[in-house]
Amino acid sequence: MKTSRRTLLKNSVAAAAALSLDWRRARAQSETVRIGVVYDLSGPFAAGGSVASAVGTQIAIDLCNEKGGVAGKYKVVPVKADSQSKADVAINEVERLINQEKVDIIDGIYSSAHAVPLAAKVEEQKKILWITTAVATAVFKDRNLKYVFRAQIHSDQYGEAFAAFLTEHAKQKLGVEPKEVKVAIIHEDGPYGAGVAAADEAYSKKAGLPIVLKEGYSAAAPDLSSLVTKLKRARPDIISHIGYNPDITLFLRQAREGGLRFKMLFGAGAGYSQLDKLRATFGKDIDDFCNIDPVPAQLLDPKKLAPGLGELITLMVERYKAATKANDVPPHCSMGFNQTWILLNHVLPLAKEKYGGFDPEAVRKAALDVDIPPGGTIQGYGVKFFPPGTPLSGQNARSTPVVMQNAGEHIAVVWPTNIRTQEPVLPLPKSSVYAL
Amino acid sequence: MDIFLVEAIINGILLGGVLALLALGLNLIFGVIDVVWIAYADIVMCGMYVIYVLYTHYDVPLLFACLAGIAGMAAFGVAVHLLIIAPVLNSAPINQLLATGGLLFFLQSFATLLFGTDFRNIGVRLPVVEVASIYISFARLIAFLFGLIGAVALYLFLKRTYIGTAIRAVAQDRDIVGLMGIDQRRIYLATSAIGGALAGLAACLLVLQYDVHPFIGNTFGPVIFMICVLGGLGNMIGGFVASFIISQIIAIGGYYSNTELSYVLAFTMFIILMFVRPRGLFAR
Repeated sequence: MKTSRRTLLKNSVAAAAALSLDWRRARAQSETVRIGVVYDLSGPFAAGGSVASAVGTQIAIDLCNEKGGVAGKYKVVPVKADSQSKADVAINEVERLINQEKVDIIDGIYSSAHAVPLAAKVEEQKKILWITTAVATAVFKDRNLKYVFRAQIHSDQYGEAFAAFLTEHAKQKLGVEPKEVKVAIIHEDGPYGAGVAAADEAYSKKAGLPIVLKEGYSAAAPDLSSLVTKLKRARPDIISHIGYNPDITLFLRQAREGGLRFKMLFGAGAGYSQLDKLRATFGKDIDDFCNIDPVPAQLLDPKKLAPGLGELITLMVERYKAATKANDVPPHCSMGFNQTWILLNHVLPLAKEKYGGFDPEAVRKAALDVDIPPGGTIQGYGVKFFPPGTPLSGQNARSTPVVMQNAGEHIAVVWPTNIRTQEPVLPLPKSSVYAL
Repeated sequence: MDIFLVEAIINGILLGGVLALLALGLNLIFGVIDVVWIAYADIVMCGMYVIYVLYTHYDVPLLFACLAGIAGMAAFGVAVHLLIIAPVLNSAPINQLLATGGLLFFLQSFATLLFGTDFRNIGVRLPVVEVASIYISFARLIAFLFGLIGAVALYLFLKRTYIGTAIRAVAQDRDIVGLMGIDQRRIYLATSAIGGALAGLAACLLVLQYDVHPFIGNTFGPVIFMICVLGGLGNMIGGFVASFIISQIIAIGGYYSNTELSYVLAFTMFIILMFVRPRGLFAR
């Protein structure tokens, strides 16, 4: 049979269409989402919570892939980098991930000192920076970022929680009005320490809490004994200490040896959230210390969270303990897990379905559309990002911290009062080596 | 007198003892072999890990763990000389610097591989001495005393023994000592062993005060180099005095201004003194 030119053309078009359909299907099946994952896996930040965040992030990626990937179809491929606790290395690694690995989304970042320059760098290249752990408000404040997002709490909220807790409990627990509770604020001098300290100072002043000393120091300082001496001279009732590690252990050791006494010490996450490691060094000496940070998910009542999140938390805790052999699951694991989970399960599916892909523009628009009510994430808070044009553009407007207290080998939530799991112990009991 | 100021001064003196001990070994090696061991503080870190492992994992009594740490680092010092320094001994200084810099990264990475990034400590809690409301850390006091003893012992060794005299001779003129029947190679090995042993001694004293982690060398490295350069590289008495100058600037500066500024003050003073005496305060 002779084939006419018209028939040949028709058949060719049909074949091409069929082939194209198959190719598209095959592509959909094999399409993956490559995400750069950047944490400090070496250097002093590693043991200060960065590795715990990285483990949490990996658990989130594993769980997502086990159910088929993003939207059940697109496997997540992490491209990992170690920022080595150095800002220049963090910048170089992110450059490499973006320019050589051709990654559009960077997930992670432990240190605020890295997050501040990285935010500008990634924004300039119009790629997505999804910050999981670094908390400095300065990362976002008045920078009108469009491609940088953080569902995590920010440093101003630490100060808010610090002052609110003291105001609420001063009279009842310490027997004095807030204006008589003398506060000292000591901090490492990077953006994290300086940011939280500035917030502590601002909110303490607002609450009428007198500040008798505010001082920064380098996290790598070999000696903090003159700071201890100055604290003894200032005689604060309450010390807020914002540090990483090993400065936290150095300070606590020199404080004990220097005879520094106080009614309560508040940590602000980082090294203070690594309870296992602090207990290994100080044993019971750190009992009843308070710590402000995002809540470790396992401390929340799962009944108050959205359905399914309780099981998710159990899985996260099991896998973290299996991976690290730790007794305690620090907040950093929840931070890494939760932020990555939000990205993989709330933002990326929306980016694909509504905006047609995983490119930065689609992810950015999807992130701004995300609207998770309080109780909708494993750390209890909801998610709604401040839109461009607002002072904290890219920061989650619904994040909330908690005040925790070391209760033996475990941590209890003591504030906000409506979700606390234990009545706060204030002041430190007389049995404490630091008790006034 | 302000009692808190007295406390700050005492703390400065005690810190000076620790820094002096650290500077002693580095200065000795530079003075004799003329090579800067950039990784010196990281050899101290290795010594701390040796003591930590022996004491906590193998229940070796602390004294013996410390002696093993000193002996181990002496042997390590010899190994560093044979494997890393000797092959580049006659190379350009930059090559020597790169070789010991490479050792620094190797040691940090190797420690990370072996022990992870966790902060570890031996869990020994020494008492605190309280005199007239001034608290003095016993661990620091011991470190200070051993720092002094180490310095005096080294001084006597260098002055009173044949090897010590030979070491000084090599430090003064390494080209001519061969004519006097001194085996330069043996002297280099002896110096490396003593330098390593001093790092081991420093490790014994630091492990009582600080957590062990792979990057603890970074905490002390820059300050020790500053002290050695300030005192005159290779000049042990200069390094000893410079340790106390720097530690007092840190302590008293921190007391009167703030902790951050005290280090700025120390480094500013260092830069000014370098302009005034570029070869160090005690350079001849």
